[in-house]
Amino acid sequence: MKPKIAFFDFASCEGCQLAILNCEDILLDILNLVELVEFREALSETAPRYDVAFIEGSIHRDEDIERLRNIRARATYLVALGACACNGNVQARSNFVAPAVNYGEVYGDEARNRVQVDPDHWGLWSHTRVRPLDAVVKVDAYLRGCPVVPQEFLHLVKSLLQGTQPFFPPNAVCVDCKMNENECVLERGLTCMGPVTWGGCNSICVNKGYVCDGCRGTLPHANVEAHIELMREHKIDDRDIRSRYRLFMGAEPIGRGV
Amino acid sequence: MSYYLATQKEIVDWIRRLAAENRLYFPEKHGAASYRFTRVGPGSDIQFDHYTPTVVPPVKLLVPAREELLHFRTDADGKTEVQPSLDTSFRIIAGVRSCDLKGIFLMDLFFREGVPDAYYLARRENTAIIGYACNTPCDERAFCAAVDSLDHTEGADVYITPVKGGDLLVEVKTKLGEKLTDGVDWKPCEDGAARRIGAVTARPEPFGRTFPAALPEISKIVEKNYESPVWDKHVKRCFSCGTCNLVCPTCYCFDVADDLHLDVASGNRTRSWDGCMLPHFAEVGGGHNFRPEPAARQRHRVNRKFTYLPEKFEHGAACVGCGRCGRQCTSHIDIFDIVTDLIQEGAR
Ligand code: SF4
Ligand code: SF4
Ligand code: SF4
Repeated sequence: MKPKIAFFDFASCEGCQLAILNCEDILLDILNLVELVEFREALSETAPRYDVAFIEGSIHRDEDIERLRNIRARATYLVALGACACNGNVQARSNFVAPAVNYGEVYGDEARNRVQVDPDHWGLWSHTRVRPLDAVVKVDAYLRGCPVVPQEFLHLVKSLLQGTQPFFPPNAVCVDCKMNENECVLERGLTCMGPVTWGGCNSICVNKGYVCDGCRGTLPHANVEAHIELMREHKIDDRDIRSRYRLFMGAEPIGRGV
Repeated sequence: MSYYLATQKEIVDWIRRLAAENRLYFPEKHGAASYRFTRVGPGSDIQFDHYTPTVVPPVKLLVPAREELLHFRTDADGKTEVQPSLDTSFRIIAGVRSCDLKGIFLMDLFFREGVPDAYYLARRENTAIIGYACNTPCDERAFCAAVDSLDHTEGADVYITPVKGGDLLVEVKTKLGEKLTDGVDWKPCEDGAARRIGAVTARPEPFGRTFPAALPEISKIVEKNYESPVWDKHVKRCFSCGTCNLVCPTCYCFDVADDLHLDVASGNRTRSWDGCMLPHFAEVGGGHNFRPEPAARQRHRVNRKFTYLPEKFEHGAACVGCGRCGRQCTSHIDIFDIVTDLIQEGAR
């Protein structure tokens, strides 16, 4: 029997699902080997059980929690798909600002004041608790990045089809940089989140002349203390350091603690 | 072995000619302050001037960051067909400094030992090397003289030394070197060996950084200090990012993985660089990690360079003093400083 695969999305831009749709050459072959039972971007069906559930997006509201638990209960293997699901992504920055302030900034004070007294809109205030999936349920595998790396998605799918464990080495982005023989951005007087960030992205941002912003989340062994010291030595002030950590890692314990 | 004297221009023209007919790699400026061995053509800007060691050493052309080892396919009867992917294409690496020459020399030993590594040797045996002597240290992190690699020329087919008067002394060292210099119209040089000694003695002294102890003694000190506060001192700033391994000309560890195709009957076996400073390097089946702490990993790395490999191969330190690890470590943790601390610790 073909394994049943499902895709779900929570708060996200759905770019990860698009990144996967871009693996055109091999995607059709994969689809012959699996049964796709749910895919927001492509079809609409529901199934009682999933062998593999791919989940994109971060968790904000109470109803998100319920829905995620429901999926978890029906899924044998649950994959966090992309930075929103793995580490909360940029939206977790809003965790650090009072909801009313956020709302006022986006929609103006008048709109804020109006919805503040309207019970139908009270759900809006809970969006200030942005969490990755594993703050709510057990996650079996993480496909990191904003967006995900198609090669890692393929590695995971092939491994599962073959009954082997997918393996993503807990290496810093600096490893990818060396494989690409990049000049370290520190040589240009810049600082970088690479030394504390999960690699496997092929250091694409540094290859293109930018720095690593840490979209793939913090490594389990990240030496944050040394990293903050390094940034200070480069004359980055503590407010900016905090901001760098909160850009993609705001929902992680590290981002909260810096 | 024969010597010639040539001008800078003559040598550059010669390299350009070789680059027109062959796959030739030369250190090329890249980024703000770095160099890379890059494939060059007859029109490329070839400069033998001073350069700091490339981001990764030229041995990348013998063991690439990722390579396919073989392709396999199992047919319906269960018979498996294996096709190795040996790279026997000819290449020239020019502008290789002595530290990197020594690195390649050591890699030759490492990869020939035990079951010879067919993939390394296929490339190595089809590689010509043009070396270039340093008359001044490349920067303040170099310590090639302290580990006996400054005068290493073995492994080069042609070795070039800038001599008094601005000319270049060309030493043709092998049959392949003769082929590369076939038809050149440079001045033959009778007193080449003496001129080379002249250039060597005119170098600054000390040349680069030096240790407060001699090499054989250092081996003993590193070994003796298996338990030492020095191992904890430097790793406080370590990210376990593996940069120090991946940029090292004598680090040869790799990881092998099979990438099965969707048909589950065929696939590729690949290998890619690995390094003992990376956290999962010494993790085995079942999840046990023999060196879970950065300090244990660093002690292992330093011992590899100064005790384990020197004992096994009897060719001196397995560190060539290129300074790459300290230069490129984001925290500037420098193996030279670690070893110096161990020496001072031992003297206390
Ligand atoms: S650019 Fe960033 S990721 Fe790359 S080596 Fe430097 S610190 Fe590491
Ligand atoms: S390069 Fe520096 S930070 Fe990275 S593993 Fe080596 S010593 Fe540690
Ligand atoms: S240990 Fe460091 S200095 Fe020694 S050869 Fe390796 S990179 Fe160069």
